[in-house]
Amino acid sequence: MNSSDSEEDSYNERSALVQSESPTIPSYNQDHDMSLPEETDTKRRRPVSSGLDEPVPVLVERERVATPDGEEEELTLKYGAKHVIMLFIPVTLCMVVVVATIKSVSFYTEKSGQRLIYTPFEEDPNSVGQRLLNSFLNTIVMISVIVFMTIILVVLYKYRCYKFIQGWLILSSLMLLFWFSFMYLGEVFKTYNVAMDYPTLVMIIWNFGVVGMICIHWKGPLRLQQAYLIVISALMALIFIKYLPEWSAWVILGAISIYDLIAVLCPKGPLRMLVETAQERNEPIFPALIYSSAMVWMVGMADVSNPGSADERQRGGGGARAQEGVESEDDVAQGVSRRYSAEEDLEEDRGIKLGLGDFIFYSVLVGKAAATGGDWNTTLACFVAILIGLCLTLLLLAIFKKALPALPISITFGLVFYFSTDNLVRPFMDSLASHQYYI
Amino acid sequence: MNLERIPNEEKLQLCRRYYLGGFAFLPFLWLVNVMWFFKEAFLKPAYTEQPQLKSYVKKSAMGLLLWVAVLTTWITIFQHFRARWGEVGDYLSFTIPLGTA
Repeated sequence: MNSSDSEEDSYNERSALVQSESPTIPSYNQDHDMSLPEETDTKRRRPVSSGLDEPVPVLVERERVATPDGEEEELTLKYGAKHVIMLFIPVTLCMVVVVATIKSVSFYTEKSGQRLIYTPFEEDPNSVGQRLLNSFLNTIVMISVIVFMTIILVVLYKYRCYKFIQGWLILSSLMLLFWFSFMYLGEVFKTYNVAMDYPTLVMIIWNFGVVGMICIHWKGPLRLQQAYLIVISALMALIFIKYLPEWSAWVILGAISIYDLIAVLCPKGPLRMLVETAQERNEPIFPALIYSSAMVWMVGMADVSNPGSADERQRGGGGARAQEGVESEDDVAQGVSRRYSAEEDLEEDRGIKLGLGDFIFYSVLVGKAAATGGDWNTTLACFVAILIGLCLTLLLLAIFKKALPALPISITFGLVFYFSTDNLVRPFMDSLASHQYYI
Repeated sequence: MNLERIPNEEKLQLCRRYYLGGFAFLPFLWLVNVMWFFKEAFLKPAYTEQPQLKSYVKKSAMGLLLWVAVLTTWITIFQHFRARWGEVGDYLSFTIPLGTA
């Protein structure tokens, strides 16, 4: 399969936990000049603009600052735990879809002769040294392509070529939603030996694709948007699993985590520059290719604002190339009137965002473990490792409150667990089983 | 996006756009429209735009049912008669099951 550039773009997303914007106050009009105040700002109360039908004046408050330190810490932790769960679910879903497909549809594990142009060196199974060398060379090619693309993206963003970036994004999501899902459906039908006719197929793909485009790039129900993002991440991961040569895939995973670390944390790293530029301009950083979870608390008659505002800000504003990021967003809910106690009026909605590239690479790791690892031990071990890594990363995010890469820790754990389980635990379990010795 | 946060006129406009979009052979869009705006149209206390919203949701539901009927009929016919149609059946098929008549 010839991959086009737009496919490349989709996995250009690096994982970065973006600098947590201190509590933003969503105005009812969702104007973009909501500044991102520092944590040390004092508590402000600001009546939401009229135009509401509700008779009750709704107040917007930022809670975090007003409370004493003890409560603030507690809030930070509470934020951490709930958000970990909120991210576990989509990451797990994505991995489940990938593993289920790998295990059932043989297409994605068959090695065709085709390779992506990004991995031009063939892996020769006969010579270990040659194979290793070629996989390193493949990795270098792949990473340089990715770096190049990221730099182009940052340059485009800096010079405000938003239209171009948006067009690029739309093209890549078009390809994912139509072409890859068409391939996927075809393979699933072949596997289950179902007859499918063209008219019905066209209807299915057309509906799936168009509604996907609408939900992701325009407006749609949050859950549906999240579902679509999970599906396209899974599709992308499956493509990677199929078309990356064996050893190159593992080396690439490792190299990408290192690149991610560099790109997000170094002062001159492209991703960091992207994040900072976007924050300077007070624009939503990465529309359309960031997964954002939303959490809503409701009290009484308050209308709770949502990181639906996050979504809206995502969609509006700059068409910046979506990159991986975990952004912690504090959208303060519109509190109820003063009658309630301090704890009750102040509610916070916090959404957290994780870049799609993170989903993709996590799923690639687990998928490859499922494809080549042999049995479920390895797969489960990798799965647990990735979740632990994600947990730790979120913890670090809560502590440092700035952009952090989400790939390195998880991928490192995943790789370690994969190789150790495959080479140590599996033979151990096998020989235990063969000797009928249960522990 | 959260429906709670947007004003009613915008909700109406969104519902209307989804409704109109469904005419482009997109029953799924109608389904999304019905599910998303169901609560707004039927379970919320009345507001000025609600009757129109209700009508859009109802029309989307009807369109959806129509499409479901058409597709079900076609799929049934195809699955049943595909083998008998010979060449035409093969021409229409995207995947042909192996090992069956």
